[in-house]
Amino acid sequence: MVKEKSAGWNGISKLLLKRVLASLVVLFLMITFLFFLLRIAPGDPSQKFVSPDLSPRLAAMVRQSFDLNSSLLDQYKTFILNLSKGNFGISYTYQVPVIEVIGQFLPFTIIFSLICFVIQISCGFVLAKFVVKNINGPRDKIISKASLMVYAMPSFVIGVALILIFSVWLNIFPSSGLSSFDFSSYNFFQKIFDYVRHMVLPVITLSFGGIAVYYKYLRDNLEEVYNKSFVENLRAHGFEEKVITRKHVIPNAVSPLIAVAGVELGLLFGGALITEVIFALPGMGRLTVNAILSRDYPLVLGCTFVSGVLIIITNLAADLLKAKMDKRIVKGILN
Amino acid sequence: MRNKYILAILLIFTILFLPSCTKQIPISQNRVVASISSDIESTNPLFAFDIDEGTISELLYLSLVQHGWDFNTGSMTTQPMLAKSWEWNKDSTSITLYLRDDVKWSDGQSVTAKDVIFSFDVYSDPLVQSKLYGSFKHFYTDTSMHVDLKKTFDVINPYKLTINFKKSSPASFYDIDFPIIPQHIYKNVSRKDFVTAEKEIKPVTDGPFELAQWNKSQSIILSANTKSFLYNSDNIEELIFKIVPNYYSQLTQLKRGEIDFMQDIRADDYPLLRGQNNLKLTSLKGREYDYVGWNNLDPEIYKQTKRIVPNKLFGSTVVRTALTYAINRAEILHEFLDNHGEVAFGPVAPIFSSAIDTSLKPLPYSPGKAKQLLASAGWKENKNTGLLEKNGREFSFTLDIPSGNPRREFAATVIQNNLREIGIKINIEKLEPEIFFQKMFARELNAWMAGWSVSIPPDLKQFWYSKLEDAPLNVASYQSKAADKVLEEIESTRSEKFKDELYKKFQEIIYKDNPVTFLYWINNLMAYNKRIKNFQLTPLGPYHRCWDWSVR
Repeated sequence: MVKEKSAGWNGISKLLLKRVLASLVVLFLMITFLFFLLRIAPGDPSQKFVSPDLSPRLAAMVRQSFDLNSSLLDQYKTFILNLSKGNFGISYTYQVPVIEVIGQFLPFTIIFSLICFVIQISCGFVLAKFVVKNINGPRDKIISKASLMVYAMPSFVIGVALILIFSVWLNIFPSSGLSSFDFSSYNFFQKIFDYVRHMVLPVITLSFGGIAVYYKYLRDNLEEVYNKSFVENLRAHGFEEKVITRKHVIPNAVSPLIAVAGVELGLLFGGALITEVIFALPGMGRLTVNAILSRDYPLVLGCTFVSGVLIIITNLAADLLKAKMDKRIVKGILN
Repeated sequence: MRNKYILAILLIFTILFLPSCTKQIPISQNRVVASISSDIESTNPLFAFDIDEGTISELLYLSLVQHGWDFNTGSMTTQPMLAKSWEWNKDSTSITLYLRDDVKWSDGQSVTAKDVIFSFDVYSDPLVQSKLYGSFKHFYTDTSMHVDLKKTFDVINPYKLTINFKKSSPASFYDIDFPIIPQHIYKNVSRKDFVTAEKEIKPVTDGPFELAQWNKSQSIILSANTKSFLYNSDNIEELIFKIVPNYYSQLTQLKRGEIDFMQDIRADDYPLLRGQNNLKLTSLKGREYDYVGWNNLDPEIYKQTKRIVPNKLFGSTVVRTALTYAINRAEILHEFLDNHGEVAFGPVAPIFSSAIDTSLKPLPYSPGKAKQLLASAGWKENKNTGLLEKNGREFSFTLDIPSGNPRREFAATVIQNNLREIGIKINIEKLEPEIFFQKMFARELNAWMAGWSVSIPPDLKQFWYSKLEDAPLNVASYQSKAADKVLEEIESTRSEKFKDELYKKFQEIIYKDNPVTFLYWINNLMAYNKRIKNFQLTPLGPYHRCWDWSVR
């Protein structure tokens, strides 16, 4: 028994090492590809320095200070050299190190994404469990149709509708922002309440679509597992329905969902542009898009790298979780 | 057990959500909240490249003088600020400034002549790359345009100094009108790393407001500087710039009273706001115009050889004039802007009433006249296709517009229909703004639609001077010796009256040549909460003297 367990952990650590190495290669290739793509694509970071109010000489000087006049290969060499020291360079827009800029936006995105993720999974699960014993019954039909409708609805429609109802008509929640102007004068509890008040509508907006996705996955998985012969077998052996559901059906239904959840969480970490714009939230989505529009090359590369790392981590976590649940998966991935 | 879980979850949600369900505290404090669509990058006036940065930095740092607006003459006036008085010498090549002795930086140090000299030094230093770099044309500078401090400044005492300009230069107050920064804070900062190093330094300011908080991507909170000579306890204590990227969210918040002031409201939303009892709507005559650019030179030849060869379609004045006749500018103005603007006939904004040539009127919409002019230029209608042709070449071209601008998209469609009526086929191509402007500044586009916001006072040389190296904004590559002569004269003239005459002369030349088709001047539509008092609306911007605002 002990021998078997240690072999399992050995497999997981091998899996971990293999995946980390592969991920590093993927990250390197992705960054290299993006580096050249950005510079080949039309657009000029010094464009904003061409204006009737500015001297024509300024744009030329800025180009030089951004090192945009040297050859593409030289720029790449400098970039890789800096990257090896953990330095993404200075953001053209913010004029501070890229890492510092990302550091201001990432914590919000991670917390916001995790809250939405937990809500999506738990609501999806509760709804699926609510209908699964009554498949094709009225509740199943109503919830399935409603979830399809919610899934098909773009988040900006949900966001605007929520603002209209809860901010304009009912005047319950603020329509944008992360905190009130007087936030700094609040005590700890008031601060928490203030954050919550501001986050209710964005969290609902971003969670809605995800709830529908997880609901659909779980509902179908639960239905499939319930119809399997081993469940019939358990019933025939006189096991209680509660025990069958909790110990056998749910673990089997949840397992395929882990991979999907890993990808979804990674994508959430990349930022939710529409929700961030509607509710004026300081997230990675807005940061990345603004960086692309202003051709802030170092910041685009930094944001992409961080998003890439987060997606890899969440996928890896999902794999490990799956492997922990079912050791056959380790073998499968290693092979 | 299960019930316990449900109860626990309900309890947590109640604790978290119940307090949040209280109504939002109405804005009753002595503050004004204005919306801006994106965060600023710097509060330092050296790097205040965009409008909002300029506004905020000018509220934090005082300039030597401040400007006002004379509605009678349509020109700027100069009033004391950091300098309480001044004397120009006889030939206006030097000015002696008497500084206020009661102005302190927020760390308690006095603002003196040292700060003034240091500011000129830093602003003009090529290593710093400030927004004013290269603008000190009337000063003694070295070859890198860095102001020569020894020749330029004579310090008589800490509160009195003389600034000497180049002997032949037509210096004016505009040359010294920018915010002064504290020498004792920045003197040890490396000039090469100034732009990054200054971010680490807490702002030390002397303006009517202080930076209270800057919540990135959320809000910039300015609080009244109670030690400033501009402070009045009856006026607003806080001015908040709330960052709301989405236009419709801004509108919603304006209606709800979450924000007190919004500008650049779209004409079709304007009637909806009329029903709001809490708002006062206002339309400010604009300094921004849209135009259709005709590349006066052949873009292909220019790209390859840098030679100026007239454009095959738009190189002719007659053709450009015909195109102006063919476009129904009044229709666009009426349909899209609900007449919040006026049809343009030149690059001098109507707000400069003493400089505008009132004898000139915009060319009327006249497809008949357009056809006649084109026929005189050799463009005849092909009966089979209905299109104009000359030497076997069809009159068709691509009109490039930046994507994401509904006004220009609408105008482009009207222009397409208008020109189709007279036998010209155009294909509208939307380009991503960054790509569009890169191509436009490289003079690679053949025909395009864009807009300019003109400066105060108008700086025309950059836009219309024939020597393209000296006129980076002459993207239409307009060539005219007569216009060049007038532009040179404007630059070297001191007399404001004579300048106005020259502006009029220049408008006549442009009116005849039609280097581009000027479409319309666009009014800035604004709305503000009625509780704001002393709101002064001038072409200098809505925040001009906003420290005088009070709230009911």
